Amino acid sequence: MEIYDTTIIGFGPAGFTAALYAGRFEMKTMVIGLEFGGYTAKAGIIHNYPGVKKADGYELAKTMKEQAEEAGAKFYDGEVVEIEKKDNNFILKTKDSKTFYSKTVILATGSERRKMGLPREKELENKGIHYCVTCDGPVYVGKDIAVVGGGNAGVSAVLLASEYARKIYLLAAGEALTAEPLNVDRVKGMKEKVEILYKTQVKEFLGKERLTGLLLSREFNGSDELKIDGLFVEIGSLPANKLAKDLGIELNDRGYVKSDTSMKTNISGAFVAGDLCDVFGSFKQNITAAASGALAANSSYYYLRDLNK
Amino acid sequence: MKSVIIYSTNSCMYCRMAKDFFKDNKVEYTEKDVYMDENARNEMIKMTGQSGVPVIKIGEEIVIGFDKATIKELLGL
Repeated sequence: MEIYDTTIIGFGPAGFTAALYAGRFEMKTMVIGLEFGGYTAKAGIIHNYPGVKKADGYELAKTMKEQAEEAGAKFYDGEVVEIEKKDNNFILKTKDSKTFYSKTVILATGSERRKMGLPREKELENKGIHYCVTCDGPVYVGKDIAVVGGGNAGVSAVLLASEYARKIYLLAAGEALTAEPLNVDRVKGMKEKVEILYKTQVKEFLGKERLTGLLLSREFNGSDELKIDGLFVEIGSLPANKLAKDLGIELNDRGYVKSDTSMKTNISGAFVAGDLCDVFGSFKQNITAAASGALAANSSYYYLRDLNK
Repeated sequence: MKSVIIYSTNSCMYCRMAKDFFKDNKVEYTEKDVYMDENARNEMIKMTGQSGVPVIKIGEEIVIGFDKATIKELLGL
């Protein structure tokens, strides 16, 4: 039976950085994941990762993975569906029935996109309703679209979509945009192309086979119906905490894993990194993910060293 | 080997993952950029009734999204 020193779950910047550090600590390291690159790979161009002025998110994630591979980490494409701790080892089972044994685990499962929860949302997915502007934004070249979400994700989506769309309606639930001031200023500066609708929510999706418009919670230009060709939903995310729950890991009231900067959890040998942890509050960035991955690997290394004394 | 056509956009990470997968597995493919090419865009939407990318046509089979398991099966990899 092959036992890894650490098994990292998650293919985002937290998981890759944890793998890089664990590899360099000469720990026998396995990384299991499904969604390559996490939000980093979907981010388009990244301007705020130190040392790289303009990073292509997908390429940055690929380089992180290559770096971890060169440090000795092994990778497995798969979804961990079961996890338990037994006799001081963690046992992980994947959807395709592979079993991995590990002395420690680092949960870097990140978060999942929050959906709007309105009727017909699933039915109209990819038929006018989208969740990835870097992927599907270019399909709407010359079209009128709406973006839901006045935070960082929504404002970034508007900036990306502005390269393709003719007109963009940014629907913000609050009285102000809450994104990075630099990006808010850029969006507000696009007066010809971007119309910001504050205190506005979507009540209903319009259109039969495809989305053709939105029923809004308040009137805009004398009507509560907004005709659009596509909608991009960017209203934040929810923690992917199923495996943490299965292990009995303590969560905060928003479902994120409780930890401190050691990235330890209440289960000995189980560590957390990236968007799943509550250490950085709602400030979820590539750099915080990478930092927490490094910290988790470091703690995992010293945990094993102390255990073997 | 079956013919492989990928309808994609340059910025789409799933499209890039699919193309990397084809390169790694030495699968020849034709790329149709649905941002640059309006005909390809309309063809993809008409063929699938949806606007999400990538769409991958393997022989006569259509795969929506980068579904690696289905693609492997269709290509016999």
